[in-house]
Amino acid sequence: MAITILAPAPAEAPRRTYHETDLDTYGEDEDEMEIDDLPSGHRRSTQVITPGQIVTDDPQWMRGHGTFAASDDASSAIRSTLAGTLQKTNKLLSVVPLRARYTPEIGDLVIGRIVEVQSRRWKVDVAAPLLANLLLSSINLPGGALRRRTSVDELNIRSFFGEGELLVAEVQSLFQDGSASLHTRSLKYGKLRNGHFMAVSGMGGGAGVVRSKRQIFTLQTARGGEVDVILGVNGYIWIAKHVEEKREEVGLNRLEETASQSMYSSQNDEISSETRREIARLAGCIRVLAEGSVKVEEDNLRRAYEASLELDEIEGEVRYLGGERGRNIVDMVLGG
Amino acid sequence: MPLDSSTYALAHLRVDGRRWKELRRIHGQMSTQAAADGSSYFEMGNTKIICTVLGPRQPTKSGGRDQSREAIIEVEIGVAGFSGMDRKKRSRNDKRTQEMQYTISSAFASTVFTSQYPHSTITIVLHVLSQDGALLAACINAATLALIDAGVPMQDYIAACTTGSTASYASNDEDADPLLDLNGMEELELPFLTMGTSGGEDKVNVLVMETRIQMPRLEAMVSVGLDGCKQVRNILDGIVREHGKKLLSSR
Amino acid sequence: MAPYTNIPLSPAELSYLHTSLAQDPPIRPDGRSPTQFRPLVAETDILPSANGSARICFADGTEAVVGVKAEVERTGRKGGLVRGKEDGEVEGEERGEDGWLDVSIEIPGTRDDDALPVFLAAMLTEALLADGELKGRLVIGRVWHWRLFVDILLLSQPLSYPLPLLSLTTHLALLSTRLPALISQKDEDPLFNDDWEASTHLFPRQPTTNEPETKPPITLLVMTVGTNILFDPSSDEIAVADAIVAISATEDSKDGGLKMVALRTVDPPSRLTSAGVPTQANTTAGGGLSAEETLKLREKDAGATVWRPPRGGVSRTVLGRMIKKVVEKGGVGEEVLEGLRGVKS
Repeated sequence: MAITILAPAPAEAPRRTYHETDLDTYGEDEDEMEIDDLPSGHRRSTQVITPGQIVTDDPQWMRGHGTFAASDDASSAIRSTLAGTLQKTNKLLSVVPLRARYTPEIGDLVIGRIVEVQSRRWKVDVAAPLLANLLLSSINLPGGALRRRTSVDELNIRSFFGEGELLVAEVQSLFQDGSASLHTRSLKYGKLRNGHFMAVSGMGGGAGVVRSKRQIFTLQTARGGEVDVILGVNGYIWIAKHVEEKREEVGLNRLEETASQSMYSSQNDEISSETRREIARLAGCIRVLAEGSVKVEEDNLRRAYEASLELDEIEGEVRYLGGERGRNIVDMVLGG
Repeated sequence: MPLDSSTYALAHLRVDGRRWKELRRIHGQMSTQAAADGSSYFEMGNTKIICTVLGPRQPTKSGGRDQSREAIIEVEIGVAGFSGMDRKKRSRNDKRTQEMQYTISSAFASTVFTSQYPHSTITIVLHVLSQDGALLAACINAATLALIDAGVPMQDYIAACTTGSTASYASNDEDADPLLDLNGMEELELPFLTMGTSGGEDKVNVLVMETRIQMPRLEAMVSVGLDGCKQVRNILDGIVREHGKKLLSSR
Repeated sequence: MAPYTNIPLSPAELSYLHTSLAQDPPIRPDGRSPTQFRPLVAETDILPSANGSARICFADGTEAVVGVKAEVERTGRKGGLVRGKEDGEVEGEERGEDGWLDVSIEIPGTRDDDALPVFLAAMLTEALLADGELKGRLVIGRVWHWRLFVDILLLSQPLSYPLPLLSLTTHLALLSTRLPALISQKDEDPLFNDDWEASTHLFPRQPTTNEPETKPPITLLVMTVGTNILFDPSSDEIAVADAIVAISATEDSKDGGLKMVALRTVDPPSRLTSAGVPTQANTTAGGGLSAEETLKLREKDAGATVWRPPRGGVSRTVLGRMIKKVVEKGGVGEEVLEGLRGVKS
C-alpha cells in the first residue's frame, strides 16, 4: 500500500472540572515529597514537578538549574521553574525539564551549520537558543600550518566554511549570555562530507541524544563497508561513509598531528549504492529510536541496527523503518 | 434573550444548565505538534485553541533593535474564518487582535525568566479554531501549557477565566449575581471581564474589561474570578502532571 | 543578513542526496520506495460549527486544518446565471460562477499577500473548479446560491512545500461538507430545514453504497531526479530535485479511472544554489585553478561528486510518465483516493 493513513490517537477522557472539595487535597501532596529518599546523582526520579511548585523549604539545600526562590516566600523555600523531575547531587537540587532546547556546555561535541559569515568568524546554528560563534583563529589550517591568520585568510574566509556547510566541533567556552564558542582544533573535527544529515531535536518525548562516552564511532555494516556515525549532543546527527585519511609520517620533529590538505573540500568521494542503503537504514534506526523515546547512543543504535537486520531476515525486507517495523525494533532494543 | 432574567431568578440555572459558579468542560493536551519546540491544544467549552511555541531562538528580525538583556516574547494570534457562527475573515492587523497579542505578551513577560535568554526571541503562535466565549482566557491558558511544554522557565502558571454579572449596566439590580465562565451568547449580552492570576491566589496578572459595569458589582466579580482561576490552575497542573507521567513511563 | 541560498544544506550534502536519488532504483534518505507516502494521521468533522472540516498531520510534524463554511448569497450582481432560459431552467454545462468558491490560506509567519499563500490558493482553486461541476451544485435557484468559503490553516512552519498536505485536507473537508436541506420552492427566499440530520452532502452519496458519486480532486507533488520519478518528496529531496510538478487528478465518471485536471510546474529550490567547488580548484585544499578550468572540471564530473544546480526543463517523455503514474489504473492517484476513503470522522 503506497499510502498509510492512520486514525488519530484517541483523546483522553475529558477531565472533570474540579470542585472546591478537591482543591485542598492537591496542596498537601507538595509538602510530603521526601527529598532524602531521592537517589543521588544523575538517576532520575519519576515524580513530576510543575512550575511554581514548592520543592522544599528545608534550608540545607542549595538551588541549582530550574529552581528559584520566590521573593515573598519563607527565605529558604525553593520553587521549580520547569515541568520536570528532581535531581539531587550532594546538596544541590536542580530540576531536569521533560523537554527543552539544547543548552551548550563546555566540552560538548556538537554538529553545527554555518548560518552567517562575518569578517573574522562564523555564526553557527547548533539548535541552541543563541547562535554559536566559531572564530577564524579556532580552526585548523590545511596542511597543518601553524601561523597567524592574515588578512588574506579573512578575505578567503568563505573558502574554509561557506553558508550552509556542516561541521563537527567542540564547545570551547561560553559567553556571558550563554552562547557557545566552538573550536575544531583536532583532527576528528572539521567539515563534514560523504554522508547524510538528520536532526532528532524536536522529535519524540525529548529523550534524544545523550552525552555518552563515545559520540563518534564506526559501524561495520552488513553489505556497505564501514560507516561513521557522529551523534552531536545537540541532537544533530551525521552518518557518512568511512574514509581513511592519508596521514603523513609523524616524525619526532613534527610531534603535532598534521591536518590533511583536503579537509576543507566539498567534493564527495565515490560512494557505492550498498553503502548508501546502509546509511539510509541507520538513519531509519535513529529515527525509530527517537520516536520511541529511547536514548540515542552507540549501544542502542548498534542493537537497533542488528534488530533491523534480524527482522529483515525473519519477516522480509522492509526499506522504510516506520510504523510497525519501527515498533518491533524498539521492543527488541529495550528487551534485548 | 440568552439569559432570561426571570427564569434565572427562579431556578438559578443558565442557558446551558450551569450554576453561577461552574466552569465549562475544560480539556487540554500538550506536545500535540512534533515540529514545534512546545505545543498544546486547549478547549474551554466550545472555544478551541491550538498554540505552538518556537524558541528561545535567535531573533529573525535582526538589527534595528538594540541588544536587550532579556528574551523578547512575540505573540501572533490567528482567528480562523470558520471559528464563529458566521464566516468572518479577521485580518491580522485589526486593533482587537493586536491588543490581545500585547496583553498576552506582557503577561508572560512578567512570569517567564526572560533574563536567562538574552538576545533571543520566544514566539507564541495561537490559532483559534472555534470561539464560544472566553477567547483571551483560553489563549492565555493554551499559551501557558505550550510554554511549559517547551521547557521555558517561569515563576508559575498563568491561569485565566472570565466572570460576568447578571445585571446589565443600565439596570440597577442590587441582587445581581456574578457568573463564572461565560459562553459566547452570554458574552454578547452581559458585561464581563477576563482575569488571569499567577503565583498564588491573589496575584492578578491580567485584567481586561471591555464592557461597562457599575462599581459595586466589580468586587463580587473579581472574587469569583480569583476562585475560578484557582480552579483553572489546578486543572492545568493536572494536565501537566499527567503528560509528564506518560512521558516518563515510556522512557 | 540573508544567506545567498535559502536551502540550509551544504554542497556535499546536496551532491550526496542527488546521486543517491539518481541511482536505479533510487535510494531515498529514509528508505521509502518511489511511490511510498509517509504515514499520516487524518480525521474529519472536527469542527462542530463548520459545514465541513478535516485535519491532516504528516509524520514530520506539519499539520493543517481546513474548515468549510457556506453562506447564502443573492445571485445577479453581474447579470445572474449565464445563458438562462426564460423560465429559469438552465441547461448545458455553464451553471454557477467561479467566484462562488473562496479559498483562503493562512500560513504562520507570512502575510496574506505573500507569494506562497496566494499561489497555493490559486492552484487549489483552479483544481477544484476545473471540472465545472462543483459550482453547479452551489446553485439554489435563479436568485440565490451558496457561497463556499474554504479556510485552510497551516499550523506549523512550512518545512516542505505544503501543497499536497493542503490539497488532501481540503479534499477530506469538502467530502464531509453538508448543506442544509432546502424546504422552500423555486424562487422564493430560501428556507432551510432546521434538522441537521436532514442536511445533504455537498458531494452527494449514492443511496446504496453510501459512497460519494463524485469526489473533489487531489493534488500530488511529483519530482524527478534524472529518470527517476518520486512521490511525496520530503524537504531534503525537494532541495535536489531536477523538476517538481503539481498534478491534480479526479475520478473520471465515464470510465472509472482517473483523469488529470490541472498541472503546474513548481520552481525547484535547487536552481538557486551555487555549485560546489571541486577539490582541485579549492584553494584551501591545496588546489587552485582558473575559472575556465574549474568549469571544465565540473562539466566533466556532471554532478556526480561535486554539486551542480540543475539546468534545463523537464523532458516531455518524463512529464508524460509522471502524469501516467498518477492517473493510470492502479496508479498512485487511485491508491491515495482509496486510502482517503477509509478516513473516519
